[in-house]
Parts: sequence; C-alpha cells; structure tokens
Amino acid sequence: MGKLRTEEFIVNMGPHHPSTHGVCRLMLTMDGERVVNVEPYIGYLHRAIEKICENRTYPQCIPLMDRFEYVTAMSCDYAFSLAVEKLAQIEVPERAEYLRVIMLELNRIASHLLFYATTAMDIGAVTPFLYGFRERELIIDLFEMTCGQRLTYNYIRIGGVSRDILPEFVPKCREALNIIKGKLSDYQGLLNENPIWKARTKGIGVMSQELAVAYGVSGPNLRATGIKFDLRKDDPYSIYDHFDFDIPIGQNGDVFDRYLLRLREIEQAIKIIEQALDGIPEGEYKTKIPFRFKPPAGEVYSRIENSRGEMGLYILSDGSTKPVRVKARGSSYNHLQVLPEVAKDCLIADLVATFASFDIIMPEVDR
Amino acid sequence: MTKDELKDYIDTHYQDKMKFLDTGRFDLMYEVTKENLLEVSKALRDDENLKFDFLCNLGGADTREHFEVIYSIASVTKRLRLDFKVVFPYDQAEIESVQEIWPAANWYERETWELFGIQIKNHGNLKLFLLPDDWDQGYPMRKDWDAPDFIRMPEL
Repeated sequence: MGKLRTEEFIVNMGPHHPSTHGVCRLMLTMDGERVVNVEPYIGYLHRAIEKICENRTYPQCIPLMDRFEYVTAMSCDYAFSLAVEKLAQIEVPERAEYLRVIMLELNRIASHLLFYATTAMDIGAVTPFLYGFRERELIIDLFEMTCGQRLTYNYIRIGGVSRDILPEFVPKCREALNIIKGKLSDYQGLLNENPIWKARTKGIGVMSQELAVAYGVSGPNLRATGIKFDLRKDDPYSIYDHFDFDIPIGQNGDVFDRYLLRLREIEQAIKIIEQALDGIPEGEYKTKIPFRFKPPAGEVYSRIENSRGEMGLYILSDGSTKPVRVKARGSSYNHLQVLPEVAKDCLIADLVATFASFDIIMPEVDR
Repeated sequence: MTKDELKDYIDTHYQDKMKFLDTGRFDLMYEVTKENLLEVSKALRDDENLKFDFLCNLGGADTREHFEVIYSIASVTKRLRLDFKVVFPYDQAEIESVQEIWPAANWYERETWELFGIQIKNHGNLKLFLLPDDWDQGYPMRKDWDAPDFIRMPEL
C-alpha cells in the first residue's frame, strides 16, 4: 500500500454553533480529527457598552452593566457600584451589604446551575440540562419577587440596593436552598461515576498552573488547576469576612475538575447565604446619594469574584457627572484567549468539551 | 505586605523609574515613562518580594489632553495589587508590547490598538476583531470620534 497523502484543512465552527454559547466563531485548522490550531473570532455581540457609558451618568450605567454579562447580572451591577463607591468613598449600610451578598451568591448558584446544564448538554448528556434549568428557576423566581426582573436586574445600586426584600423572601429563599441542597447529590450521581462522562472529561483539556496564571485565567478555572485563589478571601470586599466558608480546589485542571469544582462551589454558596439570612440586621437598605451625583476626580480599578472569575472595572473620573473612561474586564475574555493553547492537538469533540467547561459567555468577551 | 508597606517598598526600590500619582482612589497608582515600560514590567514580575505575575486589566484612555494606557497587575502568590500607567501625547501614540512578560496582554493590546489607534510595537497579531473586517471609520473610543449617522452593514 502506498503512502497516504494527508493535508491540513480549515473548518469554520460557529458563529451559530450551539455549543459556543452565544456567537463565537472558531477557525479550526484540522489534521483529520485532530485540531492543529484554533483561532477565535469575536465581536459578533459587540455593543460598545464602554463607549455608551461615557455618555451616561453613573447611575445610568448600571442597566448597561446588566447587559455586560447577563447570566450573572447581579455581580455586574455590584462590580460597578463597588467601583463607584470606592471612587467616592461611600459608606454602605450593613443591611444593604447583607442583601447584596445574598443576591450575589444566589446568582452564583444560578450561573453554576446553568453551567451544569449546558456543559453536560454539550458533551451529550441531556437530562442534566432539564435538572439545571429546573432548579435555576427557583432562584430566578426569588429575583423576580425582589426586583421584578428575571435576567437583567438593575437591583444593586450605588450606595445600596434599589428596594428592600419582601417579608416572605426569607422563608421562600430557605425553601429554595433546601430543595437545591437535596438535589446536589442527584446532579453528581447522574454524571460522576458515569463511564462515558468520565471518558469524555478526565484528562481532557488539561491546563497547567503556569499557563493559567500567565494568561490571567481566574475563578473556578484557575482553582481547578490547584491554586487556591479566591478574591472573596484574598482581596476581601463587602462583608465576606463575616462568613465561614471554604474555597474548594481541583487537582488536575481538566474538564472533570472544572465541572466538579463548580458543583462544590454551589454547596459553599448555600452555606454563605444561610449564614447571611440568619444575620440580616435591621436598618436602611441604601444611602442617599445626590441627584446630580459627582464622584471626585480620580481613578480606580476594582475587582470582584464573579461566578466565572475576576470581574474588574476600571473607572476614570474627572469630577463631572459622567465617567471619562469605563473599562470592563470580563474573565471570559482571558479564558477564550487561552483556549488555543489548551486545545492544541486535541480531538474536535474534546475541543467542544473544553470550550464548554471554561464556561465562556460571549457578551462578556465582546462587551 | 500591606498597601503602605508596598508603597514604601516601591518608593525605595523603584524610585527613579516609577512616579507616585495621587489619583488612585483605592489602590496605588504610578506613572512609568514609555522608555522604562518593559524594564519596569519585567522587574515587577521577577522581583522575589512582589511577583506581579497576573495581568488583571490593560486598557487605553483618552483624557482629551493625552492618551494613557493603564496596566492593572496583581500577584497571585503574594496577594498584592498595583496600577501603573503610561502617558503620551496624541502625536506619539505608540507603545511597546508587554506580551512577553504577561501573555494575557495580547488581546488587550489588540483591542487598544483597534479602538484607540495606539500602535503596539512588536505585537505580531494586530488584526481587527471587535470591529467589522472592513471597518474604515476611524478609532471609536477616541473622544473626537463622531459616530457616523449610518453604518454600512458588511456585505454578505
């Protein structure tokens, strides 16, 4: 038999590929089933949020921040509010901080459930998709009850939150948490010992610690490599130091670790919310800020631990009612950037698994 | 290391290369000249006591007087945070790439080039990616940029 002639060829994946979670286009250079090179093309969701912010007053920027990353819109509101509060040295009432932490952690659970649903779906397991969305609905209902919105909340404002919680919020929240707590073992039972799932995820898409740090990978993806780094503990903000919780870490930095880590983070988030629900103090839920709000001239970069990683905001102020420059840093930007390094020389099916396990969300990349 | 200790450390070890600015409202803010950028970045990353190995954010800004590029860096092992910026006038909008120090800078610099028109030297991958492939309407993040009334859709 004569020698077979092989040739590299290019495959266009996306922008409307269902596993790209939004509109991301990957140009794959393939050698048979093997991926030789990945080149991400982005910009399909570019809405120029940063430029629009320059023509809005500070409170008007918060609804735009909801759209920056709509799966965890609460934490985007919070990141912006926190940055402005640092800029103008605003003190936030303690009740507001408790409400914020409850909402942030609820949003973290909702986001991780969405991750669980869609990642399993991308790899080929359909049941988790139904389970994840079913429990996420409980949390979305809580948000709807509090601020009237299901996806883009505009709830956390500069100096506090937009309105107080209803009296029935606390019992409903406890009920929802108990349901989710009871389901966590179901989630793991569906996948953890499943031989197909293990074959598809263990040892796939391995990221080393050095690579992760060099490319600015943060959040669960960083912790899955074994680095214990969480901004809630290591660069504390809000009142996270009041609560007792652990930072789970992985070992191998593969798809399986990234998946399991997020499920373990849900447990910790429930722990935080339960402590916060017990300790909500009486008092004001927001500080009054002037109608024509003008923070002093200066600049700040503030960062928080989003469900995906480090969400940062750089704000440059000249002392007027509008920011001179707002630069939002989404963690998915870095995670998409490191994808070609991680996915080099893997099979095309594993590329989908790796992409899904990074929990990349495109509005955060394109802004 | 607390924030004050970090400030003392930088003021003693990097006094001739980094100038303290009082505009930072929360973290420390320094100014670095364009010539010293690479040297300072490398020193900050390799310094055993600082180990700034994590690039959080990199972005340009147009203050209506000059351009700035702001680098927000952090240390994962030492839990430190620092900002520094490079300031240059409009007619010298060119800066060295810090990719070989922090590979994460690649896309951030590409975006700065694309939206502000700041040239990045030794970048190697300057292609449009947020804007359409046939974009010829200037640099949208500049303050003097006027939004055209009608933006042509790319031809399909």
